Amino acid sequence: MALALLPLLVALVFRTGNADNDPVDWTANALLNGLIVTTLLPLVTLVLSTTSLGMEIEDGTIVYLLSKPVSRAQVIIAKLAASWLPAGALVSLSAASSASIALQESEPTLLLAFVIAAALGALAYSSVFLLLSLLTSRALVFGLIYVFIWEGIVTGLFSGTRTLSIREYTLGVADLLTETAELDAHLDGVTALVLMAVVTTAFVALAIRRLNRFETRTLF
Amino acid sequence: MIRLDNASRWFGNLVAVSDISFSVGPGITGLLGPNGAGKSTILQMVAGFLRPSSGSVLVRGRSPWRNDKLYRYTGLVPEREAIYPFLTGYEFVLLNAQLHKLPNPAEATARAVRTVDLEQAQHRATGGYSKGMKQRVKLAAALVHDPLLLLLDEPFNGVDPAQRLHMMGVLRDLAAEGRTIVFSSHILEEVERLADNVLVIVSGRLAASGDFHRIRRLMTDRPHTFVIRSSDNRRLAAVLIEVQSVKGVELIDGGLSVRASDFGAFALAVPPVARDAGVTLYEFVPADQSLESVFSYLVNR
Repeated sequence: MALALLPLLVALVFRTGNADNDPVDWTANALLNGLIVTTLLPLVTLVLSTTSLGMEIEDGTIVYLLSKPVSRAQVIIAKLAASWLPAGALVSLSAASSASIALQESEPTLLLAFVIAAALGALAYSSVFLLLSLLTSRALVFGLIYVFIWEGIVTGLFSGTRTLSIREYTLGVADLLTETAELDAHLDGVTALVLMAVVTTAFVALAIRRLNRFETRTLF
Repeated sequence: MIRLDNASRWFGNLVAVSDISFSVGPGITGLLGPNGAGKSTILQMVAGFLRPSSGSVLVRGRSPWRNDKLYRYTGLVPEREAIYPFLTGYEFVLLNAQLHKLPNPAEATARAVRTVDLEQAQHRATGGYSKGMKQRVKLAAALVHDPLLLLLDEPFNGVDPAQRLHMMGVLRDLAAEGRTIVFSSHILEEVERLADNVLVIVSGRLAASGDFHRIRRLMTDRPHTFVIRSSDNRRLAAVLIEVQSVKGVELIDGGLSVRASDFGAFALAVPPVARDAGVTLYEFVPADQSLESVFSYLVNR
């Protein structure tokens, strides 16, 4: 969680020392895109969403949740909310406060664009990582591989793979919502929003399906 | 209440439960068998957490697999100890009551906590509970919605003798109210003291079932093997073969291995026979008293 304070620190350093760069451009591309969307958002969401269900499966306490007259869909939605809400709040707060520090004059649309984009991005990431934690006990490792290898390297090398990157969706949505800054987004805003909705819905549906068929030998 | 018809369950190429059929009604049923025999797998199939690979498992005439309505009248006490360590005992039971959407969760929680005699410790975090207290809080959580069917996997593990007696009393009271209780254990005495009906499970198969006394007799009537060391093993072998209950004598390194059919009669017959023959007995040991050997006998019977 201390990670969420890092952007504030970086913003503070920028504000006090750097006069060469345009504050709006720097805030949008270096701070919000480079640090928050690329690193903080996936990491915070990864940690929260792989543990919310994954830990309960690991230690067997999931049995108390599943042995109730509660549909598995409700369990998935509740677990999704339990990881998305704190992750979204934390990242949005970090984005809003660090951007306010870095910007000399206020840029409400830029701020709002990233807060909304980060919240939606957190939802999409949460749904993906939640399914991952149902499929493997090493969800954290696979999540890190997805974030750093796939989104970090592969999408930079092959432009076609960008349609399978939540980072690109988030950036596309932010780009759609702001006019003041020139963002380095690769996906068209509407496309990004639609892809994000499709991916989130699909992964939530898959997670429900998976939990419905959930069996494990070590549950008892 | 519960009915298994030729139910099997395998994991990859490991067969955990093989072609088991039985039905269980109200009262206390004990699943007896060594560790790894398939008891937990059976309970998990009945609880709806595992799908039978073949055959059928029915609870009240319906398949428990993917049937979350079943949990309205089923209570589970899992073998695994883990419960949310940051919750107090009371909060844990209350959480279960709320998940069951009971009309009055606080009242149900108070009743369940009282039933398992955990009122003293109910406001302490479960992370600091002893094994026995954890077993009792798990039982309280399983009882909070007043289930008709209670499934318990090794419920007496780590429970001290006084608590065990109390828990057995609780289960007997529940059974007397007409509920169906199924528990698993690898300890003969627990099953003997508690269960009206016994299912002996060995290597995924149903080795014996029915009344405990019948099963006990099967267990004690089986041929026993004894190892005897004496001053003159060869001479003792010659006279022992004339004893009625002796089925076979073999000379082994430094002693005799004797198979006998009747445990009690054989033990009484050996000393006078040895004395009459002028042989001094040094050692007289039953060779296979372990539960595993009892079970393997029942399987191969």
